[in-house]
Amino acid sequence: MNVIVSTLAIFWFLLVLYFILIKRGLWIFNDVAKGLSMFMLEKALGPAIDFVSGRRGAASTAWILHGLVWTFIASTFTFMGLWLAHDPTALHSFESWGYHPESSELIYAGRITALFGAIGMMIVGASLHILPRLCGTDLASESNATLVSLLWTLSVIVMFVGSQNNVILGINVLPLGTLIISLASIAIGINMILTVSESTQDIPFPGWLVLFAVIGNLAAIVAVFASGAYAEGVGQWLLYHLFGGIFFFCGLAGISLYSASVGSGNPLWSKSLVAFTLFGAVITINPMGSTDPSMVVDLFSLSSHELAPSSRDVIAGSFLMALAAIPIIAFSANMLVTLRGSDAFVENPDAPGIAELNLGAWMLFPIAIGSLFVQTDALGGVDQLSGISQSLDLMAIWLVMMPLSIGSALSVLPRASGRHQLSENRSRWAFWMMSGGAFLGLLITMMSDFTDMALTESMAEQGASINEELRKVGSVMFYGTVVGAIFHCTNAISGQFRGRMVSEVEPISVSSIAIDSYSLTNPTTIRKILASGATLDTEISPSQQSEEEGSATEL
Amino acid sequence: MSVKVPSSVDVFIQGEKEPASSGVVVVLGFVTMLSFLILYGILFPGRDMPVVSEVLPMFEGVFDSGIWFFLLGVIFGAFSILATMLTEATSE
Repeated sequence: MNVIVSTLAIFWFLLVLYFILIKRGLWIFNDVAKGLSMFMLEKALGPAIDFVSGRRGAASTAWILHGLVWTFIASTFTFMGLWLAHDPTALHSFESWGYHPESSELIYAGRITALFGAIGMMIVGASLHILPRLCGTDLASESNATLVSLLWTLSVIVMFVGSQNNVILGINVLPLGTLIISLASIAIGINMILTVSESTQDIPFPGWLVLFAVIGNLAAIVAVFASGAYAEGVGQWLLYHLFGGIFFFCGLAGISLYSASVGSGNPLWSKSLVAFTLFGAVITINPMGSTDPSMVVDLFSLSSHELAPSSRDVIAGSFLMALAAIPIIAFSANMLVTLRGSDAFVENPDAPGIAELNLGAWMLFPIAIGSLFVQTDALGGVDQLSGISQSLDLMAIWLVMMPLSIGSALSVLPRASGRHQLSENRSRWAFWMMSGGAFLGLLITMMSDFTDMALTESMAEQGASINEELRKVGSVMFYGTVVGAIFHCTNAISGQFRGRMVSEVEPISVSSIAIDSYSLTNPTTIRKILASGATLDTEISPSQQSEEEGSATEL
Repeated sequence: MSVKVPSSVDVFIQGEKEPASSGVVVVLGFVTMLSFLILYGILFPGRDMPVVSEVLPMFEGVFDSGIWFFLLGVIFGAFSILATMLTEATSE
């Protein structure tokens, strides 16, 4: 039986149905449905809704700040997991408390908190600002969206606890986390649909990407359970990659394309490439992520099955993963050209988040192609590249998804909250620490993975000492990501209280070296302009000058 | 016409901005402390440091991996985030 195609057929049908319902509405039931939904979002919650702020942008701000704090937690656990890979007894003193941390468990906790806590919350946070702007209206219920941020954070805490100890007092903890996060997703989905129903203009494509990200997530779950694929290894693998392709890829694409345009001040380069991104993300299977779908098995409390696809599933899966190159290249190219339209240089302090967006767009294509090889290898049952699967998965998280989500969040946060980050300098440091730490740390860890694979293939009895050294260096390098996350957190939190108001005119920075303006009176070279103290932010003003001989003014 | 000038300012005045050189004083204090610790080792070779030598063995077997240096940084970072939240929310 062809599990992949039959499940995807249900998934596509649900998305088409959703698109038609959004465009056409519920006929005579529209008003009743809207009234009932608004009641469920606000009044039905009783006094709880009064505890949170309902001002414009409050929801987006709350979600983004939660996401940044989760970034710090996720980076810490990933670092500890990487460290324990070469020093398994480093935290053995915790055993006196009954806690036996292992490398794989800590990396698993890091992945869960990074995906659902950090990236997920920043995607939703940025979407809550972006979607109403693209619809030309306000968010249907700011209070509910702000309150739901607490529910989502609670679900990530439950998942985090479950990743370390899944059964507490006889209760499976991870499915409980899934249940809570599903409730939060439904509330956010209803809020977004109500917002779209009040739209005063045609929704641009990034808006559709955001909408499909939230609703497609639920559609993927329904499709896999309706087709019965959840009871097979291929179905579990497919659900894992549908989450990646719909919620994470579509969500990140929507918020990143919006932020690239708004942050740089350039119009989005190509509308048809965004359409390709949306259409391609829906009909293909995104190859990024781990080859092991155990996260889906744990989150839905399913019985684990071996990944044993039929030959038709292998062909369909490999073909659809190869097709995913189209939306990935379309998205990456659109981002990079949009960012380079004018002077939105990667370190331009006037455009927060641009550096992160630039990094994510650059790293997307090579990591996606690497993932395609690893996934095709695993799906075909060859399993020669499974040794680098974990490192590649971490690279996809920390070098693509995290930069894109943080970049968009930093771009949106001042517009949502009304205040800039406290320090542009600290923000720049955070970028270099996070990107440098993740890139070097994970690259060196991957080198160690390749050495391991070579040793396994040659059936060597003893491991190479260089391998342990490489893992040690890799984990220490990754610590830069933790430091960068701390910088981002403190900078964003302080910025909410003491950051420069968005409405204020930016004070011109004055230093003894840089000059603010340069009068160009005659042709000269860029070298001479730079030598005079001009920087990339110096304004050059051409001055008119006449070579005619002067004479007395006639009265 | 005369202008009344107070002969003395009978109020406590504290500078709004921290002078850059105050950090130098703190660093100087740390360096002096380290110098005295080294001097103790020279003057009383082989003798344990009072109090510190009794406290440190309690942590034997606990912080015996390099990861703890990094985790101390993480703990410091976590508290700095918490402190930022509290101080920013409560400051006038």
